Amino acid sequence: MALSSRGRRTLSLFSSSAPSNWSKAVADAEKIVGYPTSFMSLRCLLSDELSNVAIQVKKLIGTQHPLLHTARGFVFDSGNHLPTRGLIVLLLSKAAGPSHTASDLLAQDMVSGIHTSQRNLAEITELIHTAFLVHRGIVDLKEWTISDGPLKDMEFGNKMAVLSGDFLLANACTGLAQLNNTKVVELISSAIGDVVQGIYNENTSNSEEHSLGGSVDVEAWEEHTFLSHGALLAKSCQAAMELAQHDTEAQSLAYTFGKHLSMGHRLNSDLQPFVKSSAGESVTFSFSAAPVVFHRQIVGQERWSQQLQQVKTRRNELDYSKLLAAVKSEKGVNTAMDLCCYHGNKALEAIQAFPSSEARSALENIASAITKF
Amino acid sequence: MACPLLRRCSKWNANCTSLFETLWYCDGRSVSYSTSSLGRTSWSSGTGNEGQPSLLRRRTRPNTFNFTTSLSRHQPRLLDPKLQACFWINSAHTDVKLQDPFTIAQKDLTNLYDDIRKELFVSKELKALCHYYFDGKGKAIRPMIVVLMARALNSHSNRSGDLLPGQRAVAMITEMIHTASLVHDDVIDGSDKRRGKGTINELWGEKKAILAGDFILSVASITMARIGNNTVVKVFSQVIEDLVRGEFMQLGSKENENERFKHYLEKTFKKTASLIANSCKAVCVLVSSDPKVHEIAYQYGKNVGIAFQLVDDVLDFTSGANHLGKPSAADLKLGLATGPVLFACQQFPELHAMIMRRFSSKGDVDRAWQYVFQSDGVEQTKNLAQHYCQEAIRQISMLRPSPERDALIRLTEMVLTRDK
Repeated sequence: MALSSRGRRTLSLFSSSAPSNWSKAVADAEKIVGYPTSFMSLRCLLSDELSNVAIQVKKLIGTQHPLLHTARGFVFDSGNHLPTRGLIVLLLSKAAGPSHTASDLLAQDMVSGIHTSQRNLAEITELIHTAFLVHRGIVDLKEWTISDGPLKDMEFGNKMAVLSGDFLLANACTGLAQLNNTKVVELISSAIGDVVQGIYNENTSNSEEHSLGGSVDVEAWEEHTFLSHGALLAKSCQAAMELAQHDTEAQSLAYTFGKHLSMGHRLNSDLQPFVKSSAGESVTFSFSAAPVVFHRQIVGQERWSQQLQQVKTRRNELDYSKLLAAVKSEKGVNTAMDLCCYHGNKALEAIQAFPSSEARSALENIASAITKF
Repeated sequence: MACPLLRRCSKWNANCTSLFETLWYCDGRSVSYSTSSLGRTSWSSGTGNEGQPSLLRRRTRPNTFNFTTSLSRHQPRLLDPKLQACFWINSAHTDVKLQDPFTIAQKDLTNLYDDIRKELFVSKELKALCHYYFDGKGKAIRPMIVVLMARALNSHSNRSGDLLPGQRAVAMITEMIHTASLVHDDVIDGSDKRRGKGTINELWGEKKAILAGDFILSVASITMARIGNNTVVKVFSQVIEDLVRGEFMQLGSKENENERFKHYLEKTFKKTASLIANSCKAVCVLVSSDPKVHEIAYQYGKNVGIAFQLVDDVLDFTSGANHLGKPSAADLKLGLATGPVLFACQQFPELHAMIMRRFSSKGDVDRAWQYVFQSDGVEQTKNLAQHYCQEAIRQISMLRPSPERDALIRLTEMVLTRDK
């Protein structure tokens, strides 16, 4: 049971389940900023250190270490999770344009409407995001039972995951230092702290998954989700404005846009299993997905425990399609959809303050795609 | 000058000089270290050949075995009595009152851990993890070096009074980065004990331990950004990169013996010395704009740092279990060949195969252990540490005299003689 839920959680983290609206909006937007954003971490990925890891990771094939899934994500990039943060930072940089107060010198360094420093920032954002995908996949060795596979594999996988995550973070630090702006360093460092807290909370609440009293309300969910999924993009967007010497108002709008966009995106991803017509398909979802969290809060802990009991198969496993139906029959899914639209619209609203442009339209498309199901 | 120890060193030097040249001149940041730039520094204590690290100097002129004069009243307990005699002969004409580093640094370090804990402001359980090693029971040797260096540099630059706030922050950041890397190292090495208590991964699991390390690093990074100096941020980003690269270097072994020693010293620099060297540089950047002075601070930290780690590697063999808060021969058990083993391998080529398989066959650890004690690997590693300390002293002696500068000189001796 413990194992199967771990496996599912990993899947929901690394597999792509985004709607085609989103993919199209992203693909179109990539053309505007000049190059596919998945190239950004290439320098890092081609380093001796990570090549070394790649060779070592081969040893993990056939084991259940989550690093394997993460590594697969680098190669078979789905165009959903990984590249979009950097892309959004670039689009927003372009949409905001040059600052009126900035010196001529600063304006000269723009390439297709984006400063070099902003491009570097976009790359840093991706590096940090990827680093935490890797660190999220560390396995607690004491929870690992021998029936799950040899402990040695897990120790080795952990070692590789710690090292490669640290390597990505170290590269992000170096990149940040080269931006020559301590305000940006502070902002992005605090975003790293936020992400850590968010993931830490995830772990704590996941371990209470099957116990009683693990119910959180919408407000608490938003707070946690902002830390784990929103803070990095929000603060990167703000930092992109700071790098171009835009005023605090523009910075605040950028922050708001990044925040609501990432919250909306997270809700949209969480909702996918609940809105897709999945007759006959095998379905999985995480208990920390927004519709489930809201459902549990609406029906109460007791009812939720009953529902879990009712959908148990004879081999004492959860029948996820039955559980899905149970969740869908109540208001949890609708609450999540409403919240998703709220965030999408808030993001649209924030972006309206920027002058009309191709880049702004691309951001609008991305924000709208979030609210479509 | 015919003491056997020296001959041994010279013999060894003849084999490995190229390694030192590489390490000393080519690690990227010490390139600027040249005869011309240092020769001009007027207040150096002048033995006439500062341009070369003492080790190289000795190779080329074995008969003028001059320790830097400022070494003065050292009585390095580790040294061969004959060598000690050399000290006395050469140090007769200086009179530096050596100060106790702990006493002098005390006033700046009193609330260091409290202040670090205040910075690590976060809710609930994560806080407990992050505060775990900042319990005031650590040796705080890194912050001590940083504050002493800061005051020595302030005196040198004719700046009296307290530490600059930024310099105090650097001392905190140094300890935070060090701790964050310990927490991650313990996961990588699967350690369950540190400083006499259970490691974070042992108590809370690997996943949370990694996050705690990441969090401490993020707070260190915020603290350094708030100093508001871009050079300081760059100096520390170099440290973080070195720490990770050093950890990667620890994964591999080199087939070739010379390569292997170079690899070991480079790893030692990255994993231990870079933090100390760059922290010294960071406090320097905040008070002086003279690159020559930056280089002195950096070189002192680098040489002391390497010596510190070499002694640590010796203690892994000589100190009884639990003395360091970890079991002895821990490195061998992790498959790591450190100084004593690498030196022993020169006398006992049988060790070569064991090093290459990272002591993974049954009985390897015990056999390697025995070879090390049959050889003079421990002694040679201590000697090497001694050389690095001499170079550190030579560097710091180029600063104007101050109680803190002399405490830093005295500290090199403590690095060599510590037994835990």
